[in-house]
Amino acid sequence: MDPETALAIFKGGIVLGALYALMATGLSLVWTTLGIFNFAHGAFIALGAYVAWQFSSSDAMALPILPAVFFTCFVMFAVGGIIYFLLVKPFERRADVVLIAVITTLAGSAIIENGLLLIWGPRAKQIQPFLSGELELAGIRLAMSEILLLCLVLIILLGIGLFLRYTRPGRAMRAVAQNRESAQLLGLDVPRLYAIAFGLSALTAGLAGSFVGTIRFMNPAMGAEPLMKALIVVIFGGVARFSSPIYAAFVIGLLEAFSIYAFGLYWAPAVLFFTMIVVLLVKPEGLFGRYQRTL
Amino acid sequence: MRYDPPLHKTQGLAAIMIALAALLIYPLIFEATYFRHVIILAFVFAIVATSWDFSLGYGGLFNFSHVALFAVGIYTYAILAKTLGVPPWLAIVAGGGTAALVALLISIPVLRLDGIYVILVTIAFSQLIYFVVISWSSVTGGTSGMVTLPTLTIGEYRLSRDGRIGYYYVGLALLAANLLFLYLVTRSRLGRAAVALKDNKYYAIARGISEARTRSQTLMASAVFTGIAGAYYAAYLRVASPDAFGLGFLTLLLSILLVGGTGTIWGPVIAAFSISVLSEWLSGFGAWQNIVIAAAIILIVVFYPGGLWAAVQELREAVDTTRTAALARWRRGRQKAAREELTGAAERILTTAHGRIAVADTGDSEKPALLFLHGNSACKEAFYKQFRSLSDTHRIIAFDLPGHGVSDNGDPEITYNIAVYAEIAEAVLADCGVRRLGVFGWSLGGYVALELAARGNVEVTALAITGTSPLAVVPEDFGHGYNPNSHLVLAGKQYFSREETRNYANSATAPISQDSAFLHSNLKRTDGRARLYMITKLNVIDWPRQMRMLSDGKIPFAILNGSDDPFLNHAYIARLNYGNIWRGGPQDIPGGRHAPFFNKPDEFNLALYAFLSDAEKMSADTERQTAAGRTTTQ
Repeated sequence: MDPETALAIFKGGIVLGALYALMATGLSLVWTTLGIFNFAHGAFIALGAYVAWQFSSSDAMALPILPAVFFTCFVMFAVGGIIYFLLVKPFERRADVVLIAVITTLAGSAIIENGLLLIWGPRAKQIQPFLSGELELAGIRLAMSEILLLCLVLIILLGIGLFLRYTRPGRAMRAVAQNRESAQLLGLDVPRLYAIAFGLSALTAGLAGSFVGTIRFMNPAMGAEPLMKALIVVIFGGVARFSSPIYAAFVIGLLEAFSIYAFGLYWAPAVLFFTMIVVLLVKPEGLFGRYQRTL
Repeated sequence: MRYDPPLHKTQGLAAIMIALAALLIYPLIFEATYFRHVIILAFVFAIVATSWDFSLGYGGLFNFSHVALFAVGIYTYAILAKTLGVPPWLAIVAGGGTAALVALLISIPVLRLDGIYVILVTIAFSQLIYFVVISWSSVTGGTSGMVTLPTLTIGEYRLSRDGRIGYYYVGLALLAANLLFLYLVTRSRLGRAAVALKDNKYYAIARGISEARTRSQTLMASAVFTGIAGAYYAAYLRVASPDAFGLGFLTLLLSILLVGGTGTIWGPVIAAFSISVLSEWLSGFGAWQNIVIAAAIILIVVFYPGGLWAAVQELREAVDTTRTAALARWRRGRQKAAREELTGAAERILTTAHGRIAVADTGDSEKPALLFLHGNSACKEAFYKQFRSLSDTHRIIAFDLPGHGVSDNGDPEITYNIAVYAEIAEAVLADCGVRRLGVFGWSLGGYVALELAARGNVEVTALAITGTSPLAVVPEDFGHGYNPNSHLVLAGKQYFSREETRNYANSATAPISQDSAFLHSNLKRTDGRARLYMITKLNVIDWPRQMRMLSDGKIPFAILNGSDDPFLNHAYIARLNYGNIWRGGPQDIPGGRHAPFFNKPDEFNLALYAFLSDAEKMSADTERQTAAGRTTTQ
């Protein structure tokens, strides 16, 4: 493999990793706070794409790009909160909440996907790319959309990180994640914080969706594959910390890019999963994880 | 110890036979091929979901690669029967084998993990299998799958002919075999070990259960029929497609499992049929079909956390409660004269905080009062022989416990426990205007008597029990005080089959005869919840307080057991520490059984009468001593 190919693969891997990080952030945020897996995350991504299309497309409301993204974020945040109160809150205190949440969020995802089908119909849609053109940087050709993705991921991750570290609700969320009972005793409104976590998770899913909508055709079931990818990322990275899946996303992106080169497009996912199982056998808590979850 | 009778000893077998007969006859009556197809699919879903229930509900293993095991069965059939030309029937059996092997593989990473990590790894594993299937397109057909698989035949007859009737019966046979297999496995050593590991992992390991071996065996056992069902599904649809790995299929099966109720086996069977039929019924509504089903699933999980199986149980309980309450009301009105004739005492209905209580009271307030407390699933008339022979010298009071005899059924959470029974006894005594009395308790009534005396709200001058083992540590002493092989295990069972009714009544009262028939008929009236809740709420009582009372010996106390009581461990009862026991130890009525006052009334009445007069003398002595003591101190 000559250096130029390696560099190209590396670039591909990083872009892929950024995409995966965007998809997985919300999932890991919900897991670290609530301790459940949100299987409606894929549906959130699809919903985000359709909402963004509704705001931005010239066939619909035709808003400029920035307000469209802003409104999408707002809508998705609200949807996340509502979904939390409908699908998770009623079972929160049950011993088998992990299992119950799997089925309710799967059911929720079926409702969202079929709702998308009812509202927007089965025809494939696409959002106009936010930016077009290419840029050449130190011998690597980068599409503007890729640069945008990298920037977006950096901004979101940094934003969530700062939110969790330095703002009052962010710190409260960390407190709840670390010890729910104590946090409640101190007077924190736990359901509201959980709703915020869910809302933020949906918001990042919405951003991921609106980005995916610019590079692929949209259909109501488009969330299934990102959901699986996000799951792999979260499993691979471990679910101990909010940040660990992010590193894992890049590792997986690079691994996938290189194994596509080495084993071909079809075998790459199998290689990925095999590596993942080996990792879990050796280190069940994930590559960057510890056996306990904290934000 | 949970009483877990085999099917043929409960009413379960009858229900299953009826359902099986209905399913056997169904295709002979209805010809609609499409609906038959829906039921065939329901058979497949039921097999997969019940097998999953074994590993998830019984074993507590969140195995999310179960659907992949189903797909393994599909592809095993496809590859063996089509590519390699193996006879289709053999390929179906092989489907179970490969699925079990894959389950063994899956169990290797799962052995070290717990909780959410099991979900993650098994999802990863099923994705791995999925991508292997997708990628290895030369063998599996890749994303487009494999079509025109060989169909099943018997001789020259293709099972798909005559409106798929052959497939229908094969599917039914597979479901029946699967249920039988799961029934046997859950009752086997493996099933019990799996449940033990789920309930209390470290205790189970300490008792010598190998966690790793049990887990892998549980997964393999749940895989066998899943793989067979997959192969059958492939043979039926003649298609193997990677869709079987998809989220849609996972959602469907998981909802069947949860809507049916985990850890029940039968629940998912009901749910498989309900969801298939519901989904078929809604199929004309396009996207609304999935929305309605998903919403229904969420609602069921919210409002019926135990699933349809819990709903079935609640329905059964509601029917049973209504039946027993109606029976009590009917008997209260119609058979009052017969009851009064039996006891020779007037019956009245007393309204207490725990419903209406039927009281029989001979009513001579001049004579010393004597309260009789009846046992589990009996009634106050059990003492009619004492009413007749002791009423010359004593005022005799007896009442029906709530849920028994002609008293009302109670609120199970509140009423059906020994503490409240003692409270009701106090209310009855207050109504009779009695503050000083002798108490005799039989079996469950014995505990009520002990509790009543220990509470000390009424003055008990003599306390006698029969068929009761005093307990200090519950539930451990329960195992010591009684013979665990007897029919006593039925005392806490909610529903009795006919055989159990007979067994319990024979052991607890007297073999059925004209004389004891009314006692036997009481079992049909007793609220089953009274038995269940009484046992589950045993620990609302301060048991050591009863023991302290007995060892203090301030109350004259007698134990009058039947020498042939099938329930009691006489050695345990004799070993306890009594401060003031009549004639120095438990007295056995020769030839008496669990109700010696009923089957050996003369011997029993003599003994009781002797005890009562001794107790009277004793309390007179104590009074004189106290009075003397008082004089000396003055």
